Amino acid sequence: MRRLLAGLRALVGRRELDRDLDDELRGYLDSLIEQHLREGMPPEDAVKAARSTIGSLEAIKDAVRDVGWESRLESIWQDVRHAVRGLRRAPGFAAVAVLTLALGIGVNTALFSVVNGLLLRALPVRAPQQLVMLSTRHSIDEGYPAGWNYAIWDQIRHREDNFDGAVAWTVFTQRLDLAQGGERQPADGLFVSSNFFSELGIPLLTGRGFTAAEDALGSADSRVAVLSYGFWQRHFGGTADVVGKALSVNRTPVTIIGVAPPGFLGPEVGRSFDVAIPIGAAPLVLNEPGWGGPAGRSYLAVMLRLRADQSMESASTMLRGTQRQIIEAAMPPNETWGEVQDQMLKDPFSLTPASAGTSELRRQYSRSLVTVLLIAALVLLIACANVANLMLARSTAARHELSVRLALGAPRRRLVQQLLIESLVLSGLGAIAGLLFAGWASGVLVGQFSTWFNRVALDVSVDWRVLAFTAAVSVATALLFGTMPAIRASRTAPGNALKDFMSDLRSHGRVLHLKGGLVAAQVGLSIVLLVAAGLFIRSFDRLASVPLGFESERVLVVDIDTSRAGVNAQNRAAFFESLASAVRAIPGVTNAAVSLNTPVNRGVIAVSNFRVPGGPELPPAERRAIVNLVTPGWFETYGIVVRSGRVIETRDSAGAQAVVVANEAFVRKFLPDREAVGAVVVNEMPGPGQRSSSLTIVGVVGNAVEQSLRDDAVPTLYQPLSQFVVPVPIVDFGLSVQAELGSPALLARNIASALTSFDRNLAFSLHPLADQVSAARQQERLVAWLSGFFGVLALLLAGLGLHGVTSYTVERQRIEIGIRMALGAQRHDVVALAVRQTIMMTMCGVAAGLVAAAVLTRYLQALLFGITPLDPATFIAAPALLIAVALLACYLPARRATSLDPMIALRCE
Amino acid sequence: MRNINGSDKASGLVQGTLDMLILKTLALEPMHGYGIGVRLDQISKGVFQVNAGSLFPAFRRLERDGLIKAEWRATENNRRAKYYALTPQGRARLARAAKDWETQTAAISRIMRASLGEI
Repeated sequence: MRRLLAGLRALVGRRELDRDLDDELRGYLDSLIEQHLREGMPPEDAVKAARSTIGSLEAIKDAVRDVGWESRLESIWQDVRHAVRGLRRAPGFAAVAVLTLALGIGVNTALFSVVNGLLLRALPVRAPQQLVMLSTRHSIDEGYPAGWNYAIWDQIRHREDNFDGAVAWTVFTQRLDLAQGGERQPADGLFVSSNFFSELGIPLLTGRGFTAAEDALGSADSRVAVLSYGFWQRHFGGTADVVGKALSVNRTPVTIIGVAPPGFLGPEVGRSFDVAIPIGAAPLVLNEPGWGGPAGRSYLAVMLRLRADQSMESASTMLRGTQRQIIEAAMPPNETWGEVQDQMLKDPFSLTPASAGTSELRRQYSRSLVTVLLIAALVLLIACANVANLMLARSTAARHELSVRLALGAPRRRLVQQLLIESLVLSGLGAIAGLLFAGWASGVLVGQFSTWFNRVALDVSVDWRVLAFTAAVSVATALLFGTMPAIRASRTAPGNALKDFMSDLRSHGRVLHLKGGLVAAQVGLSIVLLVAAGLFIRSFDRLASVPLGFESERVLVVDIDTSRAGVNAQNRAAFFESLASAVRAIPGVTNAAVSLNTPVNRGVIAVSNFRVPGGPELPPAERRAIVNLVTPGWFETYGIVVRSGRVIETRDSAGAQAVVVANEAFVRKFLPDREAVGAVVVNEMPGPGQRSSSLTIVGVVGNAVEQSLRDDAVPTLYQPLSQFVVPVPIVDFGLSVQAELGSPALLARNIASALTSFDRNLAFSLHPLADQVSAARQQERLVAWLSGFFGVLALLLAGLGLHGVTSYTVERQRIEIGIRMALGAQRHDVVALAVRQTIMMTMCGVAAGLVAAAVLTRYLQALLFGITPLDPATFIAAPALLIAVALLACYLPARRATSLDPMIALRCE
Repeated sequence: MRNINGSDKASGLVQGTLDMLILKTLALEPMHGYGIGVRLDQISKGVFQVNAGSLFPAFRRLERDGLIKAEWRATENNRRAKYYALTPQGRARLARAAKDWETQTAAISRIMRASLGEI
């Protein structure tokens, strides 16, 4: 401790201490001179003798200074200044090195920012480590978020005293409509419990949070809202008097009572909200009368705050103990304990830690993100190899200076320290530039995650984790590329500066081997990268060329919400059919039809189990098929191929025979060896009020993608909308419009006005079908693009590295080449000589890289589509591409070799 | 031979031993740098001639460790010199070092004097 303070004092009062020491030493010298004088020496001899006894005063001062730890610091600072000066003198080298490092460190930092925002960052709430999500064992195993209905949430809330608090919110973002009718103005809504903001400790910017009274189901008081910061800025321009203003949400007026702070994006990472409304208002806003009831939908997420002394295990044991009571209390009033309740009891309550919130985005993307991060790390390694090569060349060029310094007595340790500091300075500059690049790149990357329906918001700002990562990466990089050249340089024999060129040649052979090794490593890493990029690109290509089974280019999809249009199960079909006719009358429209689902929509689909009497006996799990309800003209709108029989027509009205159209996948599974048209299919789970569960197949159509592009075709049945009179409150339907030519988006205005004039109370939003389809390929496209970018980067760096090594070889072998040419060697012989070594290194690297790639790509299996991890085409194309680049990189310096004038080459350097 | 690092080749003194000798010298009375060098030479009857290159780093070390303290004073010739004196911690360290030294030297002497039968 004392040493620490003394050192700090020494740093600050440096001059004074030096003067002090100087005085003391001079005093010592004077005393010695006096001594000699007393012994009778003449004055000049006395002085000379004294000086020669003491030796160099400066050397003593240095020895004294070295005693303190601060002298180490000072030497480091000296080396930093020296390094900066050196870099200023070699701007070309500095620029290339810093740029290479900036790119390598920058992409890693950018990706890490995204990984940080998505996986690591804690929720900006009070004591996030105490938070846990209520789930069931089955949900956790299957990996999907558990949803609870209001009745169960109410029971949990009553038992809130067992914990430190409980909050709930709606699991799926509710798309709310801010418009008063007509085309939707979408906003992302979040229904939350009244204690949401207070329990999580989120300080509102203005106004207040909700009260318990406002959370009463269906009460008029619940029509209040808290805005998110972003929405407040965008929609209200950040005006100060927003509290008290009214907002129309799904045609229900709500009063704004507060604004959330800027950092809070919502309880789920990757999702943001615009408007937060008490759960109590859900029945009013969502227009679902049964919302809060026991049979209501289960889409509340429940988060508990454990008490400080409570562990997750004890909390979940306690919950499981009360599970029976909770289920019982949450049952509808007239119902008795039955099979449904037994099923619920069999799936025990479980808790999962939620300090980083929950996230659908995380579930979807975490694997591919981590893979891309590893790829970026590879790129950084390659960049390091490049810079190491550059530094080797630089230190080789500076070997004279180093030899002289060693000969003058500099300790080798100091030389290594200086070279390492130079590396650290380079990599520090690269890290700063990389951070700036990363700030921009991570924003762009997050933007890529968003699709037309899913706005992704991630906090990718630089926090301590990102800074620590960048610092660690830049130090590791500096050590990686700087250690070897530093150690090599420190091994320089002091007398080398005095030797002439020829005897220096032997050491160049060693340098060449080192450089060659580095380049081979670079080539190997680049091959691995190129193979990975090739696999991802081909995956995406395969995915993009999956036959959709329908024409996507000419179709515009309109998502219609009929909740306020006075449409019920009886008049639904007629309503839609006249709607479709109205739209068909618009010029430029060739076809229009309404259906429950539109392809690749990510919405909820209807499924059921089916049985074909007389058909193969299938196990229950295999009897599922998707059911889509369509109006006449639907198949024509999508251009779906008819294989046999007919499609749904107007004659399939409510009173007519119950018919259905099957797709090829259904036929293949349920009627493999029979004529499908005319066969009868039985719905094993008909809804209440469904007229008949026996349906006759009247036609077979080609497979059309329903949900996911990656899955095989799913058995699907199409029923006429008019024959489906089940009083289930479905309000969302899709109107599909086929345009005559050109982009269907051009018709959007006309369609919108036609819909509004047809029925003012319809709420809708339009988008081209092509957007839906490309959204389904979003992740694969992103990964392919990123890995392709890295592959090109790696290729570029490898090419630069090869070029550098070949130039070096040519330069060093100048004399040998000159002699050969003087003796009559042909041009191509000379070129071959110069290029031979480089090509050998490249081939070694390629071989090693291919082996590594073959071993590693196995781990990418889950992300690939349609190709194997050992795809031959990729494994051939990648090395071919690299060898082509290598040949090009070697060609230029080799050409330079042939243009050497032998006489100039033979002269000493 | 003037060596600037820790060991003085002429007298074969190791860093720690030199520190102990300086402490002992200062135990008798406070002294300036030159005086300490002269005193060491005198008492050891010329065996230890410690040069400035070893003394001054040792002074700095001992001062940093809080074993001696320094003060600018006038010498007998009315010149300004830096006088060093022992601190209480210095005295304690000296006592400890002296005891350790006794133990070590006794052990080494025993080994050196041992005849064949005793080992």
